[in-house]
Amino acid sequence: MASSRQIELVASAWLARRDGNGWSAHDQLQLDAWLQEAIAHRVAYLRLDAAWRQSDRLKALGAGMPAGRVPERGAWGLTPLPESHATPSASGIDAGPPVRSAATDRSGSSSRTMYGAPKSGPRRRLRYAAGLALAVLASLTWGWRHYTAVEQSSYRTAIGGLQDVSLPDGSVITLSSDSRILVTLSRNERHIDLQQGEAFFKVAKDPGRPFVVSAGDRRAIAVGTRYDVRRDAADLRVIVTQGVVRLEPDNGPGGRSQPTTLLPAGSIALASDAGVVVSSDSVQQAEELLNWRSGFVSFHDTPLASAVAEFNRYNVRKIVIGDASIGTLRVGGNFRWSNADSFVRLLELGFPVRAVRGKDTIVLKRR
Amino acid sequence: MHEILVHERALMRYLLRSWYRRDEIHDLRQDVYVRVYEAAAKARPTMPKSFMFTTARHLMTDRLRRARVVSIDAVGDLDALNVLIDEISPERRLSGRQELKLLTDAFDRLPDRCREVVWLRRVEELPQREVALRMGIGEKTVEKQIAKGMRLIAEYFYGDGHAQHGSRHHAAVDAGHGDGDGQQQAD
Repeated sequence: MASSRQIELVASAWLARRDGNGWSAHDQLQLDAWLQEAIAHRVAYLRLDAAWRQSDRLKALGAGMPAGRVPERGAWGLTPLPESHATPSASGIDAGPPVRSAATDRSGSSSRTMYGAPKSGPRRRLRYAAGLALAVLASLTWGWRHYTAVEQSSYRTAIGGLQDVSLPDGSVITLSSDSRILVTLSRNERHIDLQQGEAFFKVAKDPGRPFVVSAGDRRAIAVGTRYDVRRDAADLRVIVTQGVVRLEPDNGPGGRSQPTTLLPAGSIALASDAGVVVSSDSVQQAEELLNWRSGFVSFHDTPLASAVAEFNRYNVRKIVIGDASIGTLRVGGNFRWSNADSFVRLLELGFPVRAVRGKDTIVLKRR
Repeated sequence: MHEILVHERALMRYLLRSWYRRDEIHDLRQDVYVRVYEAAAKARPTMPKSFMFTTARHLMTDRLRRARVVSIDAVGDLDALNVLIDEISPERRLSGRQELKLLTDAFDRLPDRCREVVWLRRVEELPQREVALRMGIGEKTVEKQIAKGMRLIAEYFYGDGHAQHGSRHHAAVDAGHGDGDGQQQAD
């Protein structure tokens, strides 16, 4: 049994590798295997991963800092924490944004590391005089604006609606019927919160800004690829038609830990409370499930109950199966989802089915 | 996981106060997390913090029983284990600003090179390869520094670095694996 220190070393090595370039599906398999080996492995991994994610917030300090320079220690203008037992309210932490209060500190004594300068020792530092103060201030204003420039917008469609949303980064989202998303674009991440329904994502490549679709307690992450995420109550379906998507639990408060799944093109992943099931079909088959984008739904040997549910996603006037025994009939074909009437007429022609048409519903009964 | 990690500082203080062998504290902490994790997989504890401390106390008691030689000190300490948990460490919910301060402190405590790597990777968001180029070091070294940065930030941010001071052993391990200084010429 390895010591906890050794386990921590291995865990950190995995995380660092994953953070780097060239992380492959094979690497992921090996990592998964290691994580499965012992709970101690998983615990160490999750802890370091959480810490590393926390460190993301250091970006708040980077706002306004010239690129390529590492600021001096303590040059943050944050007042020290009170003794560890004090209550938060007693803390002397000021209300202003950290970078602004840092301005005065840094313009006074500016010494920092600069890249591109000749390096002879490990602590090579260039000394700057007060002349830098102005430049720092200028870039500070720019940087602060840049940092706070988090764009957020929400989009929704009514039942039967279909909408293309073009994002400033070049990505295009196709929003399906009765769906809702919240788009947050920041410097380090493109975050889409799929609050309801289904959407197809054509992601523009930007390795520095992962494209994260979160839906409930899961996230599907891509760099540049095409995929579809659909949310049904607690269940989630992810279809990948190009590139690779990483499906992982969103370790928010209380995050249940479930393994990360890598989905190559052609994957259809169904995630529920029980876990994730992935079927790998051809990309063509995967695409077929996404015909809704051009106004169609496709069925192959599909139980009538599922086909009806599919139609109901797009139509206010719901089809109701009035007789459980017909729900298992198998149907196939391509249908325009906006035209439920013709679907029902075809059913009446080819199946022992009779439709009772009301104002809000079409009830299907056995003939 | 987060619910548990926010209490690491308190847990470490508790372990340091109660356990007589500093070099075992890192292991103890891991054991506590493993137990809590196992339990949480079955049912989420309603009071994660007290559950964690109770677990810690059980583990220490177990260890004492198994140890062949029990020092008088240790037995004396064991009584202290029964102190009400909330007296030991009052609940501290940190504001976002305080967390940021804690994080910057953790960051500032990193060794120079590690700090540079973390800054370039995390704040400037350069890929590891780019970081290596900028700093004129190998990519492997960058990866190692990042691994080290993660461990140290976790230690400082969650645990206040108690385990660091408590254990010489860790320092030795770090010098062997974490630091890429020796490799720089080779890269």
